[in-house]
Order: sequence, then C-alpha cells, then structure tokens
Amino acid sequence: MTSVSNAVRRPLRAIAIYAVLLLAAVVTLGPFLLSAMTAFKTPEQFAQQSSLAPPNPWTLGNLANILTGPADFGRAIGVTVLVAVFLVVFQLLFSILAAYAFARVEFPGRDALFWVYLSTLMVPAVVIVIPLYLMMTQLGLRNTFWGLVLPFAFGSPYAIFLLREYFRGIPQDLIDAARLDGANTLDILVEVVVPLSRPIIATLVLITAVSQWNNFMWPLVITSGNNWRTVTVATASLQSQFNGNWTLVMAATTLALVPLVALFLVFQKQIVQSVAITGFK
Amino acid sequence: MTARAHRRRNALTGYALLAPSLFGLTCFLLFPVLVVLWLSFQQWDLISPARFVGLANYVSVLSDPIFGNSLLVTLVFVLIVIPIQTGLGLLAASLLTRGLPGSTILRTIYVLPWICAPLALGVVWNWIFAPTGGALNAILGTRIEWLTDPNLALPAVCAVVIWTNVGYVTLFFMAGLLNIPAHILEAAKLDGAGAVAMFWRIKLPLLRPTMFFVLVTSLISTFQIFDQVYALTGGGPDHRTDLVASHIYSEAFQLFDLGRAAVMAVVLLVILVAVTVAQQLYFRRRTTYDLSV
Amino acid sequence: MAKRSTIIAITVSAAIVVVGGVAAGFGIAGAANSGTKETVTVRLWDDQVAKAYATSFAKFEKANPNITVKTDIVPWANYFTKLRTDIAGNSVDDIFWVNAGNFIDYANNGNLLNITKTFGASAEKAWSPSVVKQYTANGSLWGVPQLADPGIGVFYNTALLKQAGIDPKTISTLHWDPTGKNDTLLPVLEKLTKDANGNNAASPNFDPTKIVQYGYNAANDLNALYINYLGSNGASMQKGDQFTFDSPKGIQAFQYLVDLINKYHVSPSAADTNTDGSFSLNQFTQGKMALFQSGSYNLANIKQGAAFSWGIAGMPAGPAGAISVTNGVVAAANAHTKHPDAVKKVLAWLGSAQGSAAIGATGSASPAVTGAQQVYLDYWKTQNADVSPLYSVLKNGTVQAPQGANWMAAQNAFGPIFEDIFLGRTPVAAGLKQAQDAANAAIK
Repeated sequence: MTSVSNAVRRPLRAIAIYAVLLLAAVVTLGPFLLSAMTAFKTPEQFAQQSSLAPPNPWTLGNLANILTGPADFGRAIGVTVLVAVFLVVFQLLFSILAAYAFARVEFPGRDALFWVYLSTLMVPAVVIVIPLYLMMTQLGLRNTFWGLVLPFAFGSPYAIFLLREYFRGIPQDLIDAARLDGANTLDILVEVVVPLSRPIIATLVLITAVSQWNNFMWPLVITSGNNWRTVTVATASLQSQFNGNWTLVMAATTLALVPLVALFLVFQKQIVQSVAITGFK
Repeated sequence: MTARAHRRRNALTGYALLAPSLFGLTCFLLFPVLVVLWLSFQQWDLISPARFVGLANYVSVLSDPIFGNSLLVTLVFVLIVIPIQTGLGLLAASLLTRGLPGSTILRTIYVLPWICAPLALGVVWNWIFAPTGGALNAILGTRIEWLTDPNLALPAVCAVVIWTNVGYVTLFFMAGLLNIPAHILEAAKLDGAGAVAMFWRIKLPLLRPTMFFVLVTSLISTFQIFDQVYALTGGGPDHRTDLVASHIYSEAFQLFDLGRAAVMAVVLLVILVAVTVAQQLYFRRRTTYDLSV
Repeated sequence: MAKRSTIIAITVSAAIVVVGGVAAGFGIAGAANSGTKETVTVRLWDDQVAKAYATSFAKFEKANPNITVKTDIVPWANYFTKLRTDIAGNSVDDIFWVNAGNFIDYANNGNLLNITKTFGASAEKAWSPSVVKQYTANGSLWGVPQLADPGIGVFYNTALLKQAGIDPKTISTLHWDPTGKNDTLLPVLEKLTKDANGNNAASPNFDPTKIVQYGYNAANDLNALYINYLGSNGASMQKGDQFTFDSPKGIQAFQYLVDLINKYHVSPSAADTNTDGSFSLNQFTQGKMALFQSGSYNLANIKQGAAFSWGIAGMPAGPAGAISVTNGVVAAANAHTKHPDAVKKVLAWLGSAQGSAAIGATGSASPAVTGAQQVYLDYWKTQNADVSPLYSVLKNGTVQAPQGANWMAAQNAFGPIFEDIFLGRTPVAAGLKQAQDAANAAIK
C-alpha cells in the first residue's frame, strides 16, 4: 500500500465513520425531537398534516391542558419530586451506615450478612411486587406516600455494595487518627468518611434520583387515582385516556422526559462517569 | 479496654449501623420472597378468601402453553437484544475511541435514552409506530402496522430496547478500550498487525472483563423488561411480545389469579438465580484465565 | 467534633420532619378532609357525565353543606382492573360505577351496599325497569341506576353523504346480508370510502393503503358493533352466562364485519381500532368518516367535536332485522365506606330526578332515572338532533347484554382472540370456536 493511497483513504474513512456516528445520533435524538415537536402542535394541525410537519402555529395548549387540567400532571411532578428527594436522603443515609459497617467494623457474621445483601440483587422487581402490594394493603398504606417510599427507604444493596468498595479504599490511618482524638463512630463517618467519599455519594444521589423518577411498576401497583400517582404512572394513564390524541400524550411524555434531559445536560460528565463506575442500576 | 470488651463494642456498633438496612432488607425483600412462596400454594382472586390448593397452581402453570410461550418469547427476545446491542455498542465504542473531534458529544447523545424513563420513551415509540398519524410510516411513506403485525411486533419491541441500551454498552466498552495499555497496542503495531487483526486479536480479548460485566448486567435487566412492553404492545398481538415480567404482572393485576402469578414469579426467580450463578462460575474461571495471560 | 455530628443528626431529623410534613400536606390536600366536613368520592369512566355530575353535586353541596362530593375519572381502558385492586386494597372510592359484567362478584363478596335493603324495594319504581333488572342478583339491587343507554344507531356526516350523492334519509333503510344477495349496505359504504387519489372503494384503482375517508367503523367493539350484528343475524353473544357466539349465524355476522375491514377496506384497520377505542370517533369528528355506528354515550362527544352538520339514522338491519343491545350503568357503593350516612345521601340524590337532571340537561347521557329522561329528550330537541332512531330500534326486540360473575375473566380470555380475528390474522370460524371455549371455561 503506497503512502498516497493511504492519504486518500484516511479522510474518506473519517468521513465514513462520521456518517455512521451522525446517523446513529440522529436515530438517537429523533424520537425526543419528534415528541417535543408534537407536544407544541395544535390537534387540528396534527389531524390534517403529516406528523413530521413542524408546529404551525406553535401552541402551549397541550402542555397547559396536561399540567392544569383534570389530568393534574403538575401534581404528579410534585409527588415524584417529593418521593425522589425523600429516597435520596434516606436510602443514602442508611446505605452509608451499612456500608461503613461492612467496610470498617468487625463483627461476627459480617461476611455472611454481606453475602445475603448481595444475593438480594438477584431478586427481580416483578417477583416481590405482588407480596409488597399485599403487605402495603394489609398495613393500610395503599395509595399513600409511605406506601410509595417505604420499600426503598431503608437502603439499597446496590448502593451499599458500591459505597463499601469505596470506603475500603480510605486509609485506615485517617480513621485511627480521628479515633485517637476521641471521635466516636458517628463522628468518624461525618468528619472523615463522608467528606472523602464525595464523588461516589454524588454519583449515588444522581442514580437514586433518576431511578426514582423513572420507577414505574411499583407506583403503578401501589397508587390509584390522581393523589399519589407519579409522572410515569400519569403518563401511562394519559396514554390510555387520551388514546389517539397524540398531541396531548406527547405533551405528557415531553414533560416526563424534560427534567431528565435537563439533569443530564447539566451533570452529563458526572452521569457518564457514574455509569462507567457503577453500571447505574 | 480489654480486647473482649472492644470486640463486643465493635459488634454492637456494627449491628447498630446495619439495623435500618437489615430491617428494610428483611421486611421488603426477604419476607416478600417467602410470601410469594406461600402464595404459590393458594388460590386467590384478591376479593374472596385465599384457599390452600397444594401444588395445583404449579401443575396449572407448568402445563400452560401460554406461560411456556411467554418464557420462549423472553428467551428469543434476550437472544435478539443482547448480541445486537453488544455488537452495536462495541462498534460505536471503537469508532469513538479513535480520537476524532466530537466524540465526547456523540457519546453523551448516545447515553441519553438510557437515563430517561423507559415508560415515557415506550409511549413515544408507541406513537412513532402508530399506523395512522405515526412518525415512522410518515418517514417511510408506507402504511405498516408495526405493533400489531405478529411478525413485526417483537422485532419492534427489541429495536426500542436496543435503542435505549446501546449507549450504556458503548460507555463501558469505551472505558475498557481506553484502559488498554498503549504499549501493548504499539507492540502489536510494530509486529505489523492491521486494524482488523488488532481489534480481533488484541482489543477484544483484553476487553473480556468488560464484556462479562456488560453481559451479566444487561442479561439480568433484559430478562425483566416490563415498562416498554406495557407502553408498546401490552404483550400482543397473539402473545408475540408477552415477555415474562409483563405476563406475571397481568396474571396478578389484570386476571387476578395471584396464586398462578406467584408460581410464575418463583419460576422467574429460579431462572435468574441459575443464570447469575452460571455466569459467576464462568466469570470466575475466565478471570483467572485472563490474569494468567 | 462531637458537636458537628450532633448538628448533622439534628439536621437529618429536621429533614425528616419537613419531608413528612410536606407529604402529609399532599395527603390532606388530596383527601380534602378537615373538621366535620365529610368527603364522598365518586368514581366513573365517562368525562362527559363527570361534567354533568359537577353541576349536580354543586347543587347537592348547597343543600348539604357538611358534605363535599368529589368525582374521580378512571379511564375505561383500565377501569375494572383498577377497581379490583382498589376494592381489595380498601382504597376504592365511596361510590363507583359498575357495568353489567362487573358487579356480581363484588355483590357476592359483600363489597357492595345492598340498594334494596338501604332504600327499600319501592325506591326501584323511580328507575328504568330494564336497568333495575340487569343489576338485580340474589333478589337485591346492587347499584343506583344512572345511565340507560337506549339502542345503537348510525351517526352520519351530511356533507360526505351529499358528496357521494347519497340521501341521508336512505341510511335508515340500509340492510346487510352475509350471503351478499340482499345487501344494500356495502355498496353505500364503498361509495363513501375514498383514497388519496379520490378513488372510492368500488373503483378498481382504489388504494387501500392510502385511505383518506372511511365509510364506516366496523371494529372489534362489542357494544356498538358486533353484538348488534350477532343479534341482527339471529345469533347472540350469550344465553344466560353461557357464550353462544360460535354458531353458523354468529360466524356469518363476524365474517361480514371482518370483510368490511380487511376485504372491502371500507372501515379502518383493526391495527388502528384494536388498541385505540376512540380512533373511529376521532375520525368521524375530524370529518374523515362518513358513517359512525355508536350509541347515545357518544352524542355529547360528537356534538362537541364535530364542526359539520350531522344526524342520526337507524342501525342497518340484518336478515333478522335491526336488533340492538341496550345497556345500563349503575352507581354502586362501597359497603365498607367510612361515611355511610353521607354516602346514602349522595346515592339518594343520584337516584332522584333532581340529581340526575344534570345528566340529561347537558345531554351527556341518557339518564336511568325515569323522571330525568324527558329532560334529556328535550335537550337534544333544542340542539336540533333527532335522537329517536336510538329509541325506535328497541321496538324490534333486543339482544342480551353481557352478563356473568366472571365476565372480566371471560373477556380477558376471548379479547385477544377477537383482536386477531378483526386483524384478519385468525380465520373467523376457528377463532370464534377457540374464543368461545376459552370464554366459557373462564365464566363457568
């Protein structure tokens, strides 16, 4: 192969690679753009013209209808934010405590217990959703805030696993030094361990918030009516209620997706890193 | 402080720190599994009293061709989705790690669907596939009934799931590829290895740990896909997209046969534990092999 | 150092209190439960009647200042699955609509308030006898009759008929015939169906993939379509609880409907209508469908949605005449409600001519309270809509409406098979046999 043909081949190859990558990007972004576009069209335009035509005129009617109409999507957003904030705080708090115990405290049965924690990762959500529904019903917690959050509030084996790995990397010297200063376990956690673990905790905050925003099966089962339904449940219910009124349905999906896209754009570096670290479960 | 008192104190601290998560784990993960086992021996429609029926639910579920079909559909689904998304992810990762400008932005774009709510994306795709007023037929200028044609429905659901997951796979392979020490690649180049040979002979074997991680996690999550089926087809047409998680859900919360649903849940749990254990064993063997290289 | 961890502990507890407080706030806002005021919630699936209820309950609340009534719309698509999990979860509304296929199990299980015991047998005199009969089981009535849908008719788009040169008056005289000998319906439907090139369905150049105007709404729709085709061909959906649609005449009726969709292409594909129950309604109100067979339950939707001149004609007759279904809906009450007295008051109001007047006065549905029915007819008279074809069809006799304790299980069994039959993927005869066996096994 001569160097001339190489020089000719290189740009051609780069162009080919870009073509493939850009096509993939268009396929990836297309559905988001089409959905958002449809959300701003009038139902009349949608009925009359091709579904690919850009909005003309632009309307906020669909979004307003979804947010403030009987669908009460605004409330669903409020509920979802509340659930996500609550679970970010408590799931992480209890996960940090457990992870520290597994990483730094010696007690009988520690390894066996850790194995039990890990093995629960294998239990699929659909398996326990039936008994959880029955338990929450028995406790009278169906269609309440507590019914939505309790099963997830006491920590997540996944977060515990990741935090434990991280905590084990903290030099023992730092912990011993604090202990010599008279610090108790709680002090050490607050003063030494947590500040040193900021990156993984930030990652877990994002993961927990995103996965709670996206959670569907549990809220679908445990809520009923408008009071406590989350964004995903409201979207699914609008799909069956306004079947075929795609401008309204796309207004709902747009509202369900926009916060995530925004979060993603702001924290994209951290999210991409966190996916790389954790597999983002 | 004596060593014994110290140990006791440590044990107390340990259990105190574990208490909340242990409580949650026991109440909301382990106990429910026991309840599922108990339920699998009951007949219950949610409103009349539950009745012990022995193994009747097991007999009925295990001889039910529709449940058999659901397991088969799930298997086919997994066998379509996993190789394609892994292949595409690998391709994207190898194209993105060539140092071409814009790679970071493209990577970010590819990951976007993966962090978004699968349910909401499923609804968007439901519209895209709609025979009348849908975007895909408008682009193609045809009238294809994607989600109700028995031959197209499962491929359509597969396509949506692959579309969602490729970014995740890409990300891992990119990390894996960038972690390959430069000197190995240099040495191979000096030996005269071409790009293709380099990929198959050098990069792919070195990516093995990443590959296993990606396969384990995506296999487990693909077995449990629910949201997309709920939004796209509801399991139809003619049970062609009746993935097992969605089948269990509808048996429990649409047909209200809780006992049979519990048996199906037990079957799914056994399958997933078996798959995970098998992968762990394989993974362990392979890792040692990799280290010895 | 110890201080800082204490501060954090306090902050966390404060966070718990704040989040708990906000959550409780949401709960209270949702339940709107304060002081001595009682809230009664009413669940239904119909948006139009919900609007009428809002007017009606406003009056009720004025007369009963201690009771607030809230309506809760649950979409039809998952109304009855939600109802079951809510009744089992003790989170069902105080009052909820049920239909004929979905009340007997609840009545048997003690979930429903016994209306006969609560209001006495004489109360039934105020309500439509056919609806009372439909919802009486074990000697008692299990809901307060709310809607009494008369028969099925055909809504037509005047301009589209005119374009095709068809006189609206002739629509009521159309008849169909599975043997094709005496069929006047199909030729009309073919004339009314057009593709993008302007060819109608009778033309050899007609392109069924580019339909821009449908003639008719043949679809997998029990209430508006196939149960009436069964009846009009001398067949039936059920006899008692037993399913009977798999008969030679039943097969003919289904075959005729399926051919309208898949052979003659005068109706939308089942790929559109199977999953989207309002597809045809939307096509009609957008002026893209000439004839739309439906019932009084879509009158208000059409009046609101259709910006063109329309009318109602009689349903097409089959070999056995035009035999329609007629159906009622009742408001049942949760036997375990926390507000039994308030619920009783609301039920009594719903069952009174005054309480149901709003349903008729807005034209949203035909009330089952006899004293409110005239209001309904008067309303449509002022709207220049002649609804009499929906009533006159009942003189021909009716076909039995769905019934049975396990109706929902049966429907889950035959539903997917019917979807495939209408898609043209399963041959009618084989599909109906399979569907009937499955349905009978489920309802037993």
